[in-house]
Amino acid sequence: MHKIIHYRNKCIGCGVCYEQQPELWRMSKKDGKATLIKGLGKKDVYILDITNAEIEKSQEVAEACPVRIIRVQ
Amino acid sequence: MKQKQAEVLAPAGSFDSLQAAINAGADSIYFGVEQLNMRTRSAGTFSIEDIKEISSICKANGLKSYITLNTVMYEHDMQLLKTILKEVKKQGVDAVIASDFSVFEYCNQLGIPLHISTQANVSNIESVQFFSRFADVIVLARELTLKQVEHITKEIKRKEIKGPSGELVKIEIFVHGALCMAVSGKCYMSLHTQNASANRGACVQNCRRPYIVTDAETGEQLMIDNEYIMSPKDLCTIDILDQVIASGVDVLKIEGRTKGAEYVQVVTDCYREARNAVYEKTFSKEKTDAWKKEMEKVYNRGFWEGYYLGRKLGEWTPQPGSAATEKKIYIGKGNKYYPKIGIGEFILESGSLKIGDTLMVTGPKCGMYKERIEKLVVNGIDGPEAMKGDKITFPFATKVSASDKLYKIVEAANA
Repeated sequence: MHKIIHYRNKCIGCGVCYEQQPELWRMSKKDGKATLIKGLGKKDVYILDITNAEIEKSQEVAEACPVRIIRVQ
Repeated sequence: MKQKQAEVLAPAGSFDSLQAAINAGADSIYFGVEQLNMRTRSAGTFSIEDIKEISSICKANGLKSYITLNTVMYEHDMQLLKTILKEVKKQGVDAVIASDFSVFEYCNQLGIPLHISTQANVSNIESVQFFSRFADVIVLARELTLKQVEHITKEIKRKEIKGPSGELVKIEIFVHGALCMAVSGKCYMSLHTQNASANRGACVQNCRRPYIVTDAETGEQLMIDNEYIMSPKDLCTIDILDQVIASGVDVLKIEGRTKGAEYVQVVTDCYREARNAVYEKTFSKEKTDAWKKEMEKVYNRGFWEGYYLGRKLGEWTPQPGSAATEKKIYIGKGNKYYPKIGIGEFILESGSLKIGDTLMVTGPKCGMYKERIEKLVVNGIDGPEAMKGDKITFPFATKVSASDKLYKIVEAANA
């Protein structure tokens, strides 16, 4: 099973993840940072299991993140 | 009547740098919090919770504090922006530096003084007139000549252009620090190559690298020797500070929120002395040479005077990083303080230190402290040299903690 790992505290709120993959990401109204929808978090690191169909797009998003805080593994 | 002196405005990207600016006698400092400032990626960014402490430290030391909220703002940033501005208002930060109109709007609603950022690229008196509805201080574009700056300051007086406070609008210009190949920071290079927008504070500084030119017809490649053709040298106006002040500017801004406390302290100190010398009419070439030599010791990409004297094209750096004549080598950290006798204890984590070496400490309480070692106390007894694992003690004016970093200063060629 693949998963997305999001190191949220370093997010600069550019919104590229949400623009490219709105089904998994939203922009927090509270602090302007990206939030991994349904991601399980501990100490600002959020993890979400993804399906095989979501891997490619998620990898593109990870690549597009300007501060490289999204990982797919 | 005493002439009102131009204000020296220093960068504070950390508590160490904030104290360094205070030590150097800055009149004011600027800082950023969270992700809505132009140094989001590179500076150890402060959080909203830090605003209170920064503001209170500045007030206690008689400095003004300005907060930068000068990125491009998106819809999803509005709540964070409001939260920050409410705290700014509550803690009495003196002004907000911004270029996005949403910030103007909220500052207006909350009654917070506003400064127009250089990101707004203000280059003429009509723009000053327009922004004077919102702001009392305007930072001009960094590409203007001093003649153009002078025209603007004279026109402000002639036309009596006043800001919301009812006072004449003040003009601020950058006097020292990094320049960008793009007009006043409006750069898309980092965005195009790494998707990292400079205008969201995420610049990866790829302009600072060497490049190869390829002939599209033949495919032949030419390496450009000795010049980093998109990386300008740093702005340094200390040679011409008399002319800068004569142009009628009110605020002298130093760039460098990502740079170390030693940079902030040395550069701010030099510009404060130079500013004073101009007003006291003791400004001279001997002095400017000495200040410049001092500033060459800390982070710099080589100096030029920017566009102020009418130069059309930038001077490019001949090296990838700093050309500083001194280098700092991290060797340890603060361990203990004996307040009754004013002695600090530091522990060496690597390297060594001997009599005759120069040590430097940077930290949130001391800012930057530097001295040549005449006497060395190692593990409680006099000794010629301290090695990794040793504890050294010496007189120290401020409280020492693990946040204090101990460095050895060496000439750059020996680093």
